[in-house]
Amino acid sequence: MASSLEIKNLHVSIGDKEIVKGLSLTVKTGEVHAIMGPNGTGKSTLSKAIAGHPDYTITSGDVLIDGKSILGIEPDERARAGLFLAFQYPAEIPGVSIANFIRAALQAKMGEGEELDATAYYKKLYQKMDMLQIDRKFTSRAVNDGFSGGEKKRCEILQMAMLEPRFAMMDETDSGLDIDALRIVSDGVNQLKGDALGVIMITHYQRLLNYIVPDHVHVMWDGRIVKSGDKSLALELEAKGYEWVKKELIKA
Amino acid sequence: MSTSTNLVTSVGAFSAEAFALALESHKGLPSWWLERKEAAYKQFTSLAYPSATDESWRFSTRSGFKLDGFLATNSPATTAAKDIGLPGKPALTFVNNSLTESNPVDQALTQKGLVVSTLKQALKTHSEVLKAHFMAQDQRLGSAKFAALHTAFINDGAFIYVPKGMELKTPITIVHSASGANTAVFPHTLVITEENAQVSVIDYFVSDSTSAHFCCGANDLYAGHGSKLNYVGLQNWSTLDLCLQMNSTVVKRDARAQSLNLHLGGHQARHESLSQLQAPGAFSEMLALTIASGEREFDQRTLQIHQAPNTKSDLLYKNVLQDKARTIFSGLIVVDQDAQKTDAYQSNRNLMLSDSAEANSLPGLEIQANDVRCTHGATTSRVDPEELFYLQARCIPEAKAHELLVFGFFEEVLNRLEDDELHAALRTIIQSNFN
Amino acid sequence: MADTTLTSEPVQSDNPVTGIDQSAGNFSYKVDYEFDAGTGLSEKTVEYISAAKKEDPWIREFRLKALKVFESKPMPTHWATKDLEAIDFSKIRYYLSSGQKPKRTWDEVPDDIKRTFERLGIPEQERKFLAGVEAQFDSEAAYSNVKEAVSKQGVIFMNSGEALKEHPEIFKKWFGKVIPTGDNKFSALNSAVFSGGSFIYVPKGVKVSHPLQAYFRINAENFGQFERTLIIADEGSEVTYMEGCTAPKFSTSTLHSAVVELVALKGAKIQYITVQNWAANVFNLVTKRGVAHEEAEIKWIDCNIGSRLTMKYPGVILKGRKARGEVISIALANDGQHQDTGAKMVHAADETTSNIIAKSISVGHGRSTYRGMVHMPKHLKGCKNNTECDALLINTNSRTDTYPSITVRGAENKVQHEASVSKVSEEQIFYMRQRGLTEAQAMSLSVNGFINDLARQFPMEYSVELKRLIDLEMEGSVG
Repeated sequence: MASSLEIKNLHVSIGDKEIVKGLSLTVKTGEVHAIMGPNGTGKSTLSKAIAGHPDYTITSGDVLIDGKSILGIEPDERARAGLFLAFQYPAEIPGVSIANFIRAALQAKMGEGEELDATAYYKKLYQKMDMLQIDRKFTSRAVNDGFSGGEKKRCEILQMAMLEPRFAMMDETDSGLDIDALRIVSDGVNQLKGDALGVIMITHYQRLLNYIVPDHVHVMWDGRIVKSGDKSLALELEAKGYEWVKKELIKA
Repeated sequence: MSTSTNLVTSVGAFSAEAFALALESHKGLPSWWLERKEAAYKQFTSLAYPSATDESWRFSTRSGFKLDGFLATNSPATTAAKDIGLPGKPALTFVNNSLTESNPVDQALTQKGLVVSTLKQALKTHSEVLKAHFMAQDQRLGSAKFAALHTAFINDGAFIYVPKGMELKTPITIVHSASGANTAVFPHTLVITEENAQVSVIDYFVSDSTSAHFCCGANDLYAGHGSKLNYVGLQNWSTLDLCLQMNSTVVKRDARAQSLNLHLGGHQARHESLSQLQAPGAFSEMLALTIASGEREFDQRTLQIHQAPNTKSDLLYKNVLQDKARTIFSGLIVVDQDAQKTDAYQSNRNLMLSDSAEANSLPGLEIQANDVRCTHGATTSRVDPEELFYLQARCIPEAKAHELLVFGFFEEVLNRLEDDELHAALRTIIQSNFN
Repeated sequence: MADTTLTSEPVQSDNPVTGIDQSAGNFSYKVDYEFDAGTGLSEKTVEYISAAKKEDPWIREFRLKALKVFESKPMPTHWATKDLEAIDFSKIRYYLSSGQKPKRTWDEVPDDIKRTFERLGIPEQERKFLAGVEAQFDSEAAYSNVKEAVSKQGVIFMNSGEALKEHPEIFKKWFGKVIPTGDNKFSALNSAVFSGGSFIYVPKGVKVSHPLQAYFRINAENFGQFERTLIIADEGSEVTYMEGCTAPKFSTSTLHSAVVELVALKGAKIQYITVQNWAANVFNLVTKRGVAHEEAEIKWIDCNIGSRLTMKYPGVILKGRKARGEVISIALANDGQHQDTGAKMVHAADETTSNIIAKSISVGHGRSTYRGMVHMPKHLKGCKNNTECDALLINTNSRTDTYPSITVRGAENKVQHEASVSKVSEEQIFYMRQRGLTEAQAMSLSVNGFINDLARQFPMEYSVELKRLIDLEMEGSVG
């Protein structure tokens, strides 16, 4: 049975300033949604607010996983409920190796008294690393510490592959990637796609959508979704630019 | 009109008798002033000289701080005004604690409220302002006894008051000088910038090179809301002098204070600098350059106190050591419990040019707020042989290459000055001190 | 002094420190004058200790002289914390022989302490010792094995008291030479009343493959109040010594003042590892110093977690050309604790190098202080020092201070000091929570990351315990 992530008329503020102004969207596992929009339209705010970042206040609306609201629970509980955010700018954690970090995250998902099987863990970790063409030496490096843009993004996808979320929000995953890195990251995401995963891709450019083909495309403008369609919308947007959306909006 | 030459011979010339004479000459000035002087003299006599267990005098040659034989005189010797190498004419010139020359500032500005006058004059016209700001901050750096002495014996000084919104383009220069054997001087400069005002003030300290003097100066800088206060202290006392300077800066909301102290003179020169960041957005930049040579000692004590959130301080003190010179840098950053988001920096760099010189660094931090960014660093090393070699490989003789690298060492500090003309003048002064 | 007052009634212990509640799980004393010097410090106390130990007259003289020095020295409160004034020397018990250590029953041990042991995975037998239920930890077998193994190489490894009797020719030569009695008030105190501690002599060229551990030979004296340790590594030899453990150590005494002297002769290497976790009512005032001869190396690895106040600045005197000194220091200060730690490096020969890396974490109302001294006197060439100290503040009430002192003479040396203060960033915590870690887990991981490069230098079992301990401390600090 498919799970669903429902965003209902969501309003988000930073301080006194409203950024997301009534956004609704439903994503089911097995689907890939792309949210496109110019800078400053509230795309990143949306993803961070859903993940529970303390700087963002949800003033009204709701976010539900399988009909159950997640707004009242802590960020880590949301994560354990199956929500994953691939950060645009992942934080650096000096001194904490990737292997230990992912292990701690997996352990946190398990119940009291359960121990993670170390052998099985490393087997799986190496398998996912091979898939993402990540060097084995990578695991002993501290999380994101001194990483290049491409390394950071690959590290995000590796965590996503290991934590196996039900819903992944990918915030500007293509930013700062050259074409080779973009291909590797996209291949990784495509392999993770499937019936058990729903994806929200947040992007400024259409480029990423050449590699990860969305089922639905939404255009976000001034804190709302103003237009939805299939993948052809992304191409149309690329051809006509965001000015076109703006004009459409004014007409409407 | 020498008032008390008979006291020169007495040990501890700052006797009750000498004080009574000094006080007598201030008769007619506001009573709070006289009372404060009396209280200060009492404090001076009751406080002990720095002792061996006194942390704030660690590493300094305390025994050199003997005041025997020095005499506070208010009689200006006749000294011809000489070119001090700074742009413009000094607004006020003090010799042996008394005003000898003044160049009036633009009348248009004084009509709008700018005041550049002597302290004695200001005691008549701005008594309340003076009362609130003159030596008003706690002496936390070890020289409370000498601060009391300063207050007790001060005769005159400079008073600069920049009214709300006034932005002065040209710096105001004050000259403090000492002459004659065993003279004690108590130079003082008090600067207040009101809301959004802007000013640059230069103190120039000089004395005749034939005899020793005791130079016990202080300043009070107060940067009001949104104002900008730039200060340069150019210490060029004679190399025989015993010098002590106690500076205090108070910075208010969104205000910015910059002070650069250039230390060239003195046989034993101690400099204390206190900066208090009292409201959000306050920024204090504390800079110093020292050229230490001979068997002289330069002792610098600094304190950056962050008393409000979102304040910033940046300290950079550089010393070049030659011959058998000694330097002491003791700096402390204090971040109060409420001063979250403090950004504080402190750096002491010593360049050793001699095998017999000694550099002491005591860079300290006391942090009571958790959301802060505080770093300090101290380095002591010689001229980088790689850099020296590089310059020599470009046909520059060794001595010249050395000189270039030393000036390069100082440039980092001088570059922080916004005033290009002043920058050039200071560079010239530094260069002439090297040759 | 007949054995007349062997009371069966437990006697309420003195509380030498005002304001500390020791009532929870209290210790009780059986007073037996044959083995007990009583409270307070006088010539009589010192003579008593010396007599009880059947010492040679020169040691007795040494002690009495030290007592005079102790009495003449003021408390160093002009630079150190005023908290030192809370120590009442007249209420401290300076000597208890090993058979007569105070005891309490396991039932009297507070539950939170039991839980801590549980969480740290401390073996049953050790828990009882650490909690003060048993005065002896019976690991004689393990100790004997190690002792036997090293004695084949000619290594002497024994209690300082024994060594004074059995090897005075080696002991006397170095005893009190690295740290003179009058070095500070507390080294003088130790010199007057010392008992216990280790003596190690490693012969020329011998490399001791396994670390020698005080832990193997835990007995009452070894974890004593005033232990005295002397390690001599002869030319070209190598040895590692470890003391302490991460589990909290509960003590009947509120004052501990050890003296540790290391001597690394030409080309020798000594590594000294300490993990200190005294109970939160203990004043831990320790003097540790080594002298490194030509091309020798001394490395102090020091971790302070417990105590009310620790003052400890391990030092190295770099006496021979190309000698190397290093201090690696981790301090964790929680509520009511003050970790005042640091390092001293005295360069006394050309081309000597020293390295200091200190990291501290202040939690709750905890306070950590770094004090460092680097000294490069006249006319040396090619000396280098590098110092880094980083402080992490977890809560708004925690505090950190840094007071280095650096003196350099001459143009041929190089000193570099850097210090920073920071907190765990909110973005870091959010990132980790987004991966499913709780706030406490995230905080703990972050703190472990902060000290990771240093923790790696500790032996495996120590660093694992250290990690668990930080987990425990962080649980209490968030939420």
